[in-house]
Amino acid sequence: MSAVSFSSWNGKIIDNRNGKPAKALGPGVPTMLGDKSFTALMGWNGMVVSDAAANIPSLALGYLREARKLSCGECSVCSIGIDRLIGLIDGLIAGRGKKQDISEIERIARGVMELSKCNFGRASAVTPVYDAVRHYRDDFLALTAGRKGTTRPYRVAVTAPCIEACPARLDIPGYIELIRNNKFGESLDLIRKRCILPGVIGRACTHPCEEACVRNGIDKTLAIRLLKRAAADNDLASGGSALKKPAAERPEKVAIVGAGPAGLAAAYHLRRMGYQVTIFEALPKGGGMAAVGIPDYRLPKGVLEHEVELIRNLGADIQYNRKVTKLDMDELTAQGFKAIFLGVGAHEGTKMGCKGEDAGYEGFVDGAVFLRELALGRPVEPTGKVVIVGGGNVAMDCARSCARLGFKDVEILYRRTRKEMPARAEEVDEALEEGVKIRYLVAPVSVLADGNRVKGLECIRMKLGEPDSSGRRRPVPVKGSEFKVKADLVIAAIGQKPDLGFARDVIQVTGWGTIEVNPETLRTNLEGVFAGGDCVTGPATLIEALDAGNRVARSIDAYLQGRTLEPEVSFKGIDVKAQRAEGFIGACPQEPVNLLDPKERVKSFAEVEGPFSNAAAMKEANRCLRCYRLVVWE
Amino acid sequence: MLNVTIDGKKVEAKDGTTILRTCQENHIPIPTLCFHKDLMPFGACRLCVVEVKVNGKWQLTTSCDAALKNKMEVRTNSEKVKESRKLAAELLYYKYPSTKAVRDAAKSLGVEVAEGEPKGNDCILCGLCTRTCHEIVGVDALKFVDRGLGRNLAEPRIEYIADACIGCGSCAYVCPTGFVKMESSGDRRVIWDKSFKMVACETCGRYFAPEDQLKWISKKTGVPMSELLVCTSCK
Repeated sequence: MSAVSFSSWNGKIIDNRNGKPAKALGPGVPTMLGDKSFTALMGWNGMVVSDAAANIPSLALGYLREARKLSCGECSVCSIGIDRLIGLIDGLIAGRGKKQDISEIERIARGVMELSKCNFGRASAVTPVYDAVRHYRDDFLALTAGRKGTTRPYRVAVTAPCIEACPARLDIPGYIELIRNNKFGESLDLIRKRCILPGVIGRACTHPCEEACVRNGIDKTLAIRLLKRAAADNDLASGGSALKKPAAERPEKVAIVGAGPAGLAAAYHLRRMGYQVTIFEALPKGGGMAAVGIPDYRLPKGVLEHEVELIRNLGADIQYNRKVTKLDMDELTAQGFKAIFLGVGAHEGTKMGCKGEDAGYEGFVDGAVFLRELALGRPVEPTGKVVIVGGGNVAMDCARSCARLGFKDVEILYRRTRKEMPARAEEVDEALEEGVKIRYLVAPVSVLADGNRVKGLECIRMKLGEPDSSGRRRPVPVKGSEFKVKADLVIAAIGQKPDLGFARDVIQVTGWGTIEVNPETLRTNLEGVFAGGDCVTGPATLIEALDAGNRVARSIDAYLQGRTLEPEVSFKGIDVKAQRAEGFIGACPQEPVNLLDPKERVKSFAEVEGPFSNAAAMKEANRCLRCYRLVVWE
Repeated sequence: MLNVTIDGKKVEAKDGTTILRTCQENHIPIPTLCFHKDLMPFGACRLCVVEVKVNGKWQLTTSCDAALKNKMEVRTNSEKVKESRKLAAELLYYKYPSTKAVRDAAKSLGVEVAEGEPKGNDCILCGLCTRTCHEIVGVDALKFVDRGLGRNLAEPRIEYIADACIGCGSCAYVCPTGFVKMESSGDRRVIWDKSFKMVACETCGRYFAPEDQLKWISKKTGVPMSELLVCTSCK
């Protein structure tokens, strides 16, 4: 930390080269990249030098060469400006440069920052080079004295605020740009590299990328999720392309337990590498929670089935209705499996901790079970009033499904307020539009029954106290405020946990009841056994499970080939959103999509959200500011 | 109706318009190489840059794609604007030194342009052809080749998708540098190196349109081919 001799990060100059007592760095200045130190680093937001021996002109040239690859070339200032700067600095290093070239570099770099069309040109393209010629002028001047300079190797990493926010780190600006240029097929190929369920994720993702979109500060986020859906829908509309077969087959067999998003992603990548993959799935269909946790009105089953089928056609042997009841390593080894991936999800409901919930009353059901039964086609009789306990997406899915099934009265009870609700805001809004009622600051105390038949809940009012470990204010019961709520059906949707009975006593488990793994390699305590997805994280999102599948495939490959797993460069601790000199970007409204009328919605399980037409998708893609963040270091 | 100030003068403008269009309507000259009134703005050439006042501070923006807001203050001829346009033109001239449209623009913006007869017909990536093909013609035979993360393409360029092209020639018509070449002789038209069979007018016998274009029009409009075989002059 104290070794930093110069920083221009975020436009704030810290110069410790003059021998005076060293000034402290502000927060957010990169001093390390992951676990790697550097002598000098150049990035979209400035430069940081930690070693006086750093070769600044060489790094500036390296930076520009990398920037050149990322510049789209569609606005003249950025791409030609980079070329011009490469010419000038290359000339200086080769000993052909003149003194006035240095002011020329400064003038052109400033012009590129001020005049470029997108955020790549404004921030990433040349910013640290501009800083370098201003603050390390002597290093450049030394090259005009007739002596040639040298170049050194450097390392590169690229991200963007949206990429950084995405658990699976999809190249979001990349696939958006392909859509903008009317290349939906290529866009889908790029999406599939890290998201093998594009149609599913394009509909049901919680899209943290959109929260991180720089456009939020100007008008409204890019509709990133819907653009992904557009790429997937466009492909499906033309019959659906097959997935690329592996270049060569490998003999090693890998077993995957669970055909959820994690298992499917692992299967896809392992198959692409040529491994022989068998998936054991307890349910009669693939997709895990995407199949039995997300109702049709959010994710039509045909979309998921198509995407699972593509992975099956790639050669993954998916064995349905094959529940693994005991993790028998001897048996699996005898069958020739060299590695095993556990992606069993978290399908078991958590207890509410109230009286009567274990009594087995008729009319009392767990949320995950309710949605699963519904998805598997078991009939549900609408019986008047249903009460759902919980404030997450599962609670919303249960409530909105009940509204469609014909329950006359659908009410959600949640122990905190709307502000603390973990469900997606649009899910809550759409539920309210469909006539679902939500009562806040209420928690169940006991399940009331008439014989063996549920007749309601006894509840207690809550108030918000101090924030808990999740940062949300803790609900505290209000003494003596008990009251009764009538209900013919009670659905407890307050959370799920993994059912690890099959691996009891052999696999190491955390205090949360999830499988313990090495966070980098996803290896468990058992040799050759890996785990990922909800059974490791607890109930999380589809895209997090896909990420686990993507990563475990690399880890299994490294394990089977006897290599060490090379970690991806991490931008942890660096504010990738911060950007100096944003300039003026005019507002441009998001392309609208149609939502089914609430009165129509409750009549069936038809998909609520309409798609982008290709033309609308291209227009929406045009709003992308292309905030690629480049970092180069030596 | 919007009330704005451009170069110190009060100007009225239509809702939903851009700075560039308003300037053009008010005869305020703004240089452009990539703008066309019938196409979506693209912001490629950066020559149309102006200054707008945002929160009391003058900021640069291209005028072609900047929506005009009520009470907006715009400067089109400040030193900063002139200097910025000159830099944009200078960079274009650096890359395309022998292309006439670029030389003319650069010269008019104060860039020192070497003497000599210009001979080049470079593609300057203005995107007029790609936009025309997508927005007006609707066949998408011209697309930018994407550069970016992991794609490692040496030069930005436009790709021609021969299968989608109907030979209408709109791209050649709109190209500002003469890069898109179209040659017709007898019953053949060659464009982007693809050869098209021309159809002769049933009345005057003149070869007036490529067969592929007439087929496309017929498919799009539902008018049978047999009714499209007369040229516009004879209709």
